[in-house]
Amino acid sequence: MPHHRFECSECIPEREKHAVVKGPGEDLTDALPLGYLNTIPGTISERGCAYCGAKHVIGTPMKDVIHISHGPVGCTYDTWQTKRYISDNDNFQLKNTFATDVKEKHIVFGAEKLLKQNIIEAFKAFPDIKRMTIYQTCATALIGDDIGAVADEVMEEMPDVDIFVCNSPGFAGPSQSGGHHKINIAWVKNKVGTVEPEITSDYVINYVGEYNIQGDQEVMQDYFKRMGIQVLSTFTGNGSYDDLRAMHKAHLNVLECARSAEYICNELRVKYNIPRLDIDGFGFEPLSSSLRKIGIFFGIEDRAQAIIDEETARWKPELDWYKERLKGKKVCLWPGGSKLWHWANVIHEEMGVEVVSLYTKFGHQGDMEKGIARCEEGALAIDDPNELEGLEAMEKLKPDVIFTGKRPGEVAKKVRVPYLNAHAYHNGPYKGYEGWVRFARDIYNAIYSPIHQLSGIDISKDEIATDKGFSTQRLVSDANLPEEVKNSETLRQYTGGFDSVSKLRNKTYPYLEQRAASVEA
Amino acid sequence: MEENVLKERVAQLEDHILKKCLWQFHSRAWDRERQNENILGKTTQILCGEPVAKETAEDRCYYADAVCLADAYKERFDWINTLNVAEIKEVMAALKERIDYVTITGSLNEELTVKQY
Repeated sequence: MPHHRFECSECIPEREKHAVVKGPGEDLTDALPLGYLNTIPGTISERGCAYCGAKHVIGTPMKDVIHISHGPVGCTYDTWQTKRYISDNDNFQLKNTFATDVKEKHIVFGAEKLLKQNIIEAFKAFPDIKRMTIYQTCATALIGDDIGAVADEVMEEMPDVDIFVCNSPGFAGPSQSGGHHKINIAWVKNKVGTVEPEITSDYVINYVGEYNIQGDQEVMQDYFKRMGIQVLSTFTGNGSYDDLRAMHKAHLNVLECARSAEYICNELRVKYNIPRLDIDGFGFEPLSSSLRKIGIFFGIEDRAQAIIDEETARWKPELDWYKERLKGKKVCLWPGGSKLWHWANVIHEEMGVEVVSLYTKFGHQGDMEKGIARCEEGALAIDDPNELEGLEAMEKLKPDVIFTGKRPGEVAKKVRVPYLNAHAYHNGPYKGYEGWVRFARDIYNAIYSPIHQLSGIDISKDEIATDKGFSTQRLVSDANLPEEVKNSETLRQYTGGFDSVSKLRNKTYPYLEQRAASVEA
Repeated sequence: MEENVLKERVAQLEDHILKKCLWQFHSRAWDRERQNENILGKTTQILCGEPVAKETAEDRCYYADAVCLADAYKERFDWINTLNVAEIKEVMAALKERIDYVTITGSLNEELTVKQY
């Protein structure tokens, strides 16, 4: 697993320690890229900042909250829609963005008055919303505005509101991951334990590190409810502010994105003795194993097994239809966060694709350990790549598709590599059994879209054939498949609907008898 | 058990953990030690048919991971079903040593010894 030097980064020798190739017979003790360090000057990092990590990743998926940035309006860049963490209250947190719009004169004379005025104005504009989170930015942190004092003053004047202050300006860490840490710790210190929830089940969990991208959380919550489990809070996708103040009453913390939210689980483990169980919600086998583990913890494994059997029978033939057509395709797995390790092995096992590279822009070495452990030999693992390194990797590896964010995705499209949005998805949710088939369908559509036949033509000089049509997706994808696969009566393409989430919101669940919360021998 | 057989079997079990599990990669060394000790310890007890402690919530959490690991081992690696108790303990002790090395003592992760989360 030697380090890898990019030609475009030869003038920055430090970069060599940020990329490795997983060699045959080598393990994580042979080499591991550095990670979560200050960006090397000159490398043109594409990371976000600590404020971005606190607000856009962790905080804003909270649904019934006015999220206000105390700083220049530019800090709200990329706020709307880009994360697609939808909510079942008409997407209040996605539709509305608040900033105090700090200007030069406020930097000189202070912006606390401006902040107070903005808070009151925002609460008046949305009288049904009584909860607020205020995010510190670089500008107002540097001038030393006491946001906590302003929040206390408002809460005294308006007793029906509650405000959470998140002190994580952009410079608070080397990347957005520093902001994840700060908001986790601040929430557990200042808000957990301040609300006593109604407990309606013997089996109560917090579902942590789940951001409800295109409805992921709602899909998983459906499984939990079918098992008779009460999801006390979701940190933080589709989560309610007051539910999250009651996290201390759960019996188990179920953790998905360990790096963004493990801090809160670990603090709850120390402070309230709530254990942490790490799970995978992606892929048939990992998801089945996850549901089973939660079932075993509560002594209700049979309920988990019933869901696993039903869902697998319903969706597996559809997953396999895509697997037959995706086998051997090369993938650059360049997501933003936990998909690095959640997908690295299971997309290979359940969809047949080969992961030739993985990267993270802000991950820690622990994230890379998980990703590298799970991908195949020969994969190129890169920490904090810039655009040039990304282009060089694509040129050398020649992937059939990349899974990444929208900005590197657009770059990939320019060099004719199909791109699938790993952050916000194309047609998610991707969690759950049906979701995993939706993901396979999106990969299939990305790779076999007929547009690729057109995109290589230079209309300024190439002739365009007018006597024949373009091949369809099926003609291309099925060209080399055996007849029995092509004509299979078992395998079929995705048969679910366009919207697989909304129907879950009005679903009723059967009453499940409570059992003693102990594990059978 | 012959050394090369033991090594090959441990490699298979290790590969499964690295590719399928998450509990071995908690972000601090002390946490990894606890995870490895408890989950591999309970997995060994399950495979040997010995009683497993599950009184506390934490125990039940380790137990859940251990049951799934033991089941996967029995299903994927036929040879494990042919071993006696002493042989299972020998393989699992060697596995524990290997996992401790890969995730803790031989790990290049510089964050493992940071005291604060």
